[in-house]
Amino acid sequence: MGHSSDTAFVLKDVSLFFGSVPILTDVNFAIRSTGITSIIGPSGSGKSTLLRTLNRLNDHHPTFRCTGSVRYRGTDIYANGNGSVDVARLRQDIGMLFQKPCLFPTSIYENVLFGLKRLKLRPRSEFPGIVETTLRAVFLWDEVKDRMKHPANELSQGQQQRLSLARALACEPEVLLLDEPTASLDPKSTQAIESLIRELGNRLTVILVTHRLEQAKRLSETVIFLSDGCVCEWGGVDDIFTCPSKEITQQYLAGHPP
Amino acid sequence: MITRRRRKLVGVLLRTLVGSMTVISVMALVCIVVVMVTKGGAMLTWEFLSQPSRAFGAEGGIRSQIAGTLILAMGAGLLSLPIALGTALYQSEYLTPQLKSVAMRFVYALNGVPTILFGLFGYLVFGLYLGFGISWVSGALILAMMILPTLVVSIREAIDAIPHQYREAGLALGMSTAQLIRAVIVPQSVHGIITGLLLGLVRATGETAAIVFTATTFSGVDFPRSLDEPVTTLQTHILLLSQEAVHPSATDAVWGAALMLMILVLCFSMGALMVRSRFRVEV
Ligand SMILES: Nc1ncnc2c1ncn2[C@@H]1O[C@H](COP(=O)(O)OP(=O)(O)O)[C@@H](O)[C@H]1O
Ligand SMILES: [Mg+2]
Repeated sequence: MGHSSDTAFVLKDVSLFFGSVPILTDVNFAIRSTGITSIIGPSGSGKSTLLRTLNRLNDHHPTFRCTGSVRYRGTDIYANGNGSVDVARLRQDIGMLFQKPCLFPTSIYENVLFGLKRLKLRPRSEFPGIVETTLRAVFLWDEVKDRMKHPANELSQGQQQRLSLARALACEPEVLLLDEPTASLDPKSTQAIESLIRELGNRLTVILVTHRLEQAKRLSETVIFLSDGCVCEWGGVDDIFTCPSKEITQQYLAGHPP
Repeated sequence: MITRRRRKLVGVLLRTLVGSMTVISVMALVCIVVVMVTKGGAMLTWEFLSQPSRAFGAEGGIRSQIAGTLILAMGAGLLSLPIALGTALYQSEYLTPQLKSVAMRFVYALNGVPTILFGLFGYLVFGLYLGFGISWVSGALILAMMILPTLVVSIREAIDAIPHQYREAGLALGMSTAQLIRAVIVPQSVHGIITGLLLGLVRATGETAAIVFTATTFSGVDFPRSLDEPVTTLQTHILLLSQEAVHPSATDAVWGAALMLMILVLCFSMGALMVRSRFRVEV
């Protein structure tokens, strides 16, 4: 299958199951290598499952099954046998942020380096510089520069989420998967995270799951709408929000006025 | 009305019954402690603890016995720990759910093997076949096998209690299974590892049957100087003295040794309890 350098993911006839229960069927879309794509849809429609398919994070659910082809930069990431991918290597290129910030019970400084340390991308002497750069990038440096050795869990939820983002960015990912990253945050932290996402979209592939339609509208160029076990609509943000082609999309958008 | 009153009566009766059972089990421990302290308390002097025994235990102290008990228990703990950690990690990180429960059933079955059988097996394999003879090494190996399930279960419980978010956060950062184990799984289950080790020490410290004919001798040894020397322990000291002593001062020595053994065991189990409750609060 052809692969042009400006597409990150191509999904072809993908179906996702837990046991024998289909969660999503016949998923087809492509995601460009820069810009922000939002995945929206009612709760339980499979947004998280789809997102976690892209970095194979569903793998440790023993009943999870994926059919069809999921290609990342031309490589089928679910292929078996000879062409099978190194999953850990794949996930190094794909950073992820969860709904609730999940920091490790260690210091702020160590949390930023938690992934990078093990990847051996950089010599240790560069670590302090990397910590400062990434913390500045998530607007956290000024708030924590005097307490790098403090436990990370003394930070507020909003700060913790920004620290989680710094931890992912320190590994220099090409893709960021965001699963409702602002759902547990106050408006101010939400704004900070949103402006970060917008900026990151200029150089990375950002895929954002959100239940806030305004957020999808504000941030993304492309929208994937999931409903009833399939991709109901996929297209430019203006097309979908101004003239959705399906009635079910209209209803969903009307039920949640932007 | 009648049924309601009856139900209430049954409730009160049941509560009294269950309550008195609880009192009985608490009293059992209290009684043992009280008897040990009243009978053996006077014996616990520095002389008694720091001198080797003389005249087949009728005179002198229990220094060598304390050392022997600790050598066997600690040796067993040190031998068992890496194997238990490996077993627990392999089960939880590499096996499928079905195999996990099969493996766990084996661990529980091992826990149910009578300790005298560990002794017999160890005597044949470590003592005769591997040539360690009746020695502290044979004893430590036997006890290590015996306490393995205790450690594995405790470590597995701690690993299973790690919030799955930690795992996912580690995996999402591109960690391999080995890196996840080192960076997340082991640090997050340290309390289970320590608790398991202490509970294992409790079992090893109290064990008598498996070591009496494989690792210990009655008297005439102090600290072992080589791998194939036997030790003498508090447990076997108590066993043999209480069977054979006619001398009244030997009876006093039995109670002193018994109290010392109980203190060691209580120290380990208190330690386990403290580690466990401390980490409960934090997580
Ligand atoms: N580990 C799992 N095992 C079985 N079913 C699951 C599992 N995870 C999610 N599901 C099911 O998959 C569906 C989609 O879940 P999810 O992707 O979390 O939805 P969303 O993120 O859109 O709210 C739900 O019906 C959920 O019950
Ligand atoms: Mg979700």
